[in-house]
Amino acid sequence: MDATHLITTTEAIDPVFMFIFGASLVLLLGIAATMVVFVIRYRRSRSPEPTSQVSGNLWLEVVWIVLPTLLVLAMFFYGWSGYLALRNVPKGAMEVTVTARMWSWSFTYPNGKTSNKLYVAVNKPVKVELVSRDVIHGFYLPAFRVKRDVVPGMKNHAWFVATKPGSYDLFCSQYCGTGHSAMITTVEALPEAEFAAWLAQKEGNPGRGLLEKHGCLGCHTLDGKPGVGPTFKGLWGRSETVVTNGRERHITVDEAYVRRSILEPNADVVKGFQPVMPSFIGVLKEEEIKAIIGYLRTGGAASAKRDGRKLAQEKGCLGCHSLDGSHGVGPTFKGLFGTTITVLRANKGVAVTADEGYLRECIRQPNTQLLEGFQPIMPTFTELSDDDVAALVEFIKEVK
Amino acid sequence: MATVQPTPTSFWNDTGKTGITSWIFSTDHKRIGLLYFYSTFGFFLVGVLLGLLLRIELMAPGRTIMGPATYNATFTVHGVVMIFLFIIPGMPGAFGNLVMPIQIGARDVAFPRLNLFSWWLYAIGAVIVLTSLFTGGGPPDTGWTFYVPFSARTGTNVSLAVLGVFVIGFSSILTGINFVTTIHRLRAEGMTWGRLPLFVWSIYATAWVQVLATPILGITLVLIMAERILGAGLFDPGRGGDPVMYQHLFWIYSHPAVYIMILPAMGVISDVIPVFARKPIFGYKMIAFSSLAIAAAGSLVWGHHMYTSGMSDTAILVFSFLTFVVAIPSAIKVFNWVSTLYKGSISLEAPMLFALSFILLFSIGGLTGLILGAAATDIHVHDTHFVVGHFHYVMFGGAGFAFFSAMHYWLPKFYGRKYAEKPAVIAWAFMFTGFNILYFSMMVLGLKGMPRRYYDYLPEFAPLNLVSTIGSWILAVGLIIMLVNLFRGLFWGEPVGSNPWGGATLEWSIPTPPPTENFDQEPVVTHGPYDFTKAGVP
Repeated sequence: MDATHLITTTEAIDPVFMFIFGASLVLLLGIAATMVVFVIRYRRSRSPEPTSQVSGNLWLEVVWIVLPTLLVLAMFFYGWSGYLALRNVPKGAMEVTVTARMWSWSFTYPNGKTSNKLYVAVNKPVKVELVSRDVIHGFYLPAFRVKRDVVPGMKNHAWFVATKPGSYDLFCSQYCGTGHSAMITTVEALPEAEFAAWLAQKEGNPGRGLLEKHGCLGCHTLDGKPGVGPTFKGLWGRSETVVTNGRERHITVDEAYVRRSILEPNADVVKGFQPVMPSFIGVLKEEEIKAIIGYLRTGGAASAKRDGRKLAQEKGCLGCHSLDGSHGVGPTFKGLFGTTITVLRANKGVAVTADEGYLRECIRQPNTQLLEGFQPIMPTFTELSDDDVAALVEFIKEVK
Repeated sequence: MATVQPTPTSFWNDTGKTGITSWIFSTDHKRIGLLYFYSTFGFFLVGVLLGLLLRIELMAPGRTIMGPATYNATFTVHGVVMIFLFIIPGMPGAFGNLVMPIQIGARDVAFPRLNLFSWWLYAIGAVIVLTSLFTGGGPPDTGWTFYVPFSARTGTNVSLAVLGVFVIGFSSILTGINFVTTIHRLRAEGMTWGRLPLFVWSIYATAWVQVLATPILGITLVLIMAERILGAGLFDPGRGGDPVMYQHLFWIYSHPAVYIMILPAMGVISDVIPVFARKPIFGYKMIAFSSLAIAAAGSLVWGHHMYTSGMSDTAILVFSFLTFVVAIPSAIKVFNWVSTLYKGSISLEAPMLFALSFILLFSIGGLTGLILGAAATDIHVHDTHFVVGHFHYVMFGGAGFAFFSAMHYWLPKFYGRKYAEKPAVIAWAFMFTGFNILYFSMMVLGLKGMPRRYYDYLPEFAPLNLVSTIGSWILAVGLIIMLVNLFRGLFWGEPVGSNPWGGATLEWSIPTPPPTENFDQEPVVTHGPYDFTKAGVP
């Protein structure tokens, strides 16, 4: 995309501001000046009796119906054309999925990489697909004059382009509860090469990212819990009884079986499960299937050590719990582990030690062990596996 | 006509009874009007107090005096109290009741008992809203807009607050029906539609909006309760519902409701300016017609609250267009008010000062509304402090200052005594100055990108927030001076005659304070409301 011919959202919107503010200022000064002049000239001490009893003038009234009408119509058309610039996404824009939840943002790039700040390349238009996990949020970039609500169940989008490297504020503009004003992050605009390097930087396991992206984990758990489909925990090499064409047979889970299960999921269905999985033919590319197989083969599901810090970012924990000792909506993680704290139980303050068990319980059943002085507003994270919780606890222990 | 007769028993001591029951069970429109005045103005003061607390919290970044949950509840209650308990019922309930029947030459409204019932519904609704603050999960924290799905999820006492607002809605509908009927049926002989005071025209237009739009609020609130209590899933996308549909329903009422708030205010201004300029209003017909035009077109612009919601671009095109159409009748009014001053004999007493400042503040509110009506510019400032500033310019600088104008203009008529002029002017000067510092800063903050309903903010927004908070204190000082002055004046001030300002409308032709049935005999109207020469006013 040639950015030199691209009209940025700011360039499209600001002239409209100038036009409306300019016209308004002229009108306002006109009204105010006329009023002041009349009040001074015709004040009672100077003009004890009214010198006219005129009660109307057809031509004057026609003039001030027609002129404002023309003026506001001009504003309307100009405003509309500026708005169209916000809606027409330039071709070749990079698509980023923005996920909003109470009270944090996460950004998913075309290659599956996720982050908590929105990294973009300078002069490269970005289209954001807005997804909400809970209530309505607002995706707002003041520097780019861009705003769009993030509505659950709705596919909203917006676009912008940064023409200079730098850091730009990203706010939640739609009120969403206690942490609304803390739901802030930034757009980090990097020179193109730097951005490409950042994007290519691998982190975590791409196979796992794919499992999340395509919703596999909605049915297949990683922690051994039963789901709609069989768990991935300990999957590789496991002996399973499958039903093929109505007949039971025994197999060992290997690459061929997993591949077939992805592409023709209902050919061999593990006994006890329903044949409900959709096929991923045409959805997953060959290298993506390989990445998933690689992840499942290494037993990543069962053994890979989860990165607690990353998880805390992804799940939005850090939206409320700071790492620097400042209390946000929730207590800070800094120095929390091992201290004696006062929690409310049945409206009575009880002193407890913030040990591993306490932290685990707080994640699993928020608000039952509420720290004194905070509101019971933490959502329940049912999607966290035992490994995830353990990783989070490890991470919190390390924040000192 | 304007000779002062030996005073017939005024409505204050007609029944021979005193005490609270002679008020809360009275069907006299003047007593009911004062009941509305006391209750709505009382809530106004509560709202002011909450607003001042919000400003103190925002004085500096981070926690100042309260936590985020308290802050969210405070701005929600500030909005609910100001909108549903003060400004919607205030102007029609208080001054509509006090003045409108006398201005059309009637002894009372068409349905006096229904009128009393309306006040009771209002009082019951208000008590329910107050109860919601101290029971259950605590005061609601949804904002006065109650947007789903948040309002369906929050553990605070939303259901009870919504029930209170629902009951108050019925009060509004019944008042509307009462006033429409009164204005149609009870005009005195000679009180043609062309001789109606413009305040009556504005109350008439308002009453129609109350009757037609408020039921939609009722339905919307019932749907929220269905969502919360029954889990109906109407607005929950997980169950086939649509959160944006809620916004449509809410604004179909709540945008016209803005006109319930501002139309009577425009009526006050249209009545005050001619009297203090001793000149007929300029363009009577256009002002009367523009009230109806605003009421009609204003009912079709609700979507301009939703440009960012994800509704279709076609809808935005249509709503933006209609929004600009509504701007025209408002502009006509402003031009006509200013022209009325031409070659008049202008006296800058308190009611006039408030009226003239109304024109300025309302103009700023209206002109910044153009920024919000244009699709391109709205996107940037939507849901920011720009909207907060704009809204307060229209609602406080507009409707609020008109309410103060009406208080200084009409209350002496009903109390029989007058406040002192000098403190009134000083109070006005404080309020006008403080107001602009308070809300203009907010608009600049919004342009710089500070979202609204923000408990905390980035350091770059700190200086203007401090300025804004200082403005709120200056405004508060003016408000206190005004209150003390009015309170002292109305109860112990100088007695006033029947026509202290030289008005030509009917309320100035009867004794002060008015007798129970207003008129000894039904008046015959022979001239227009602003025809000062024919009215024999000096």
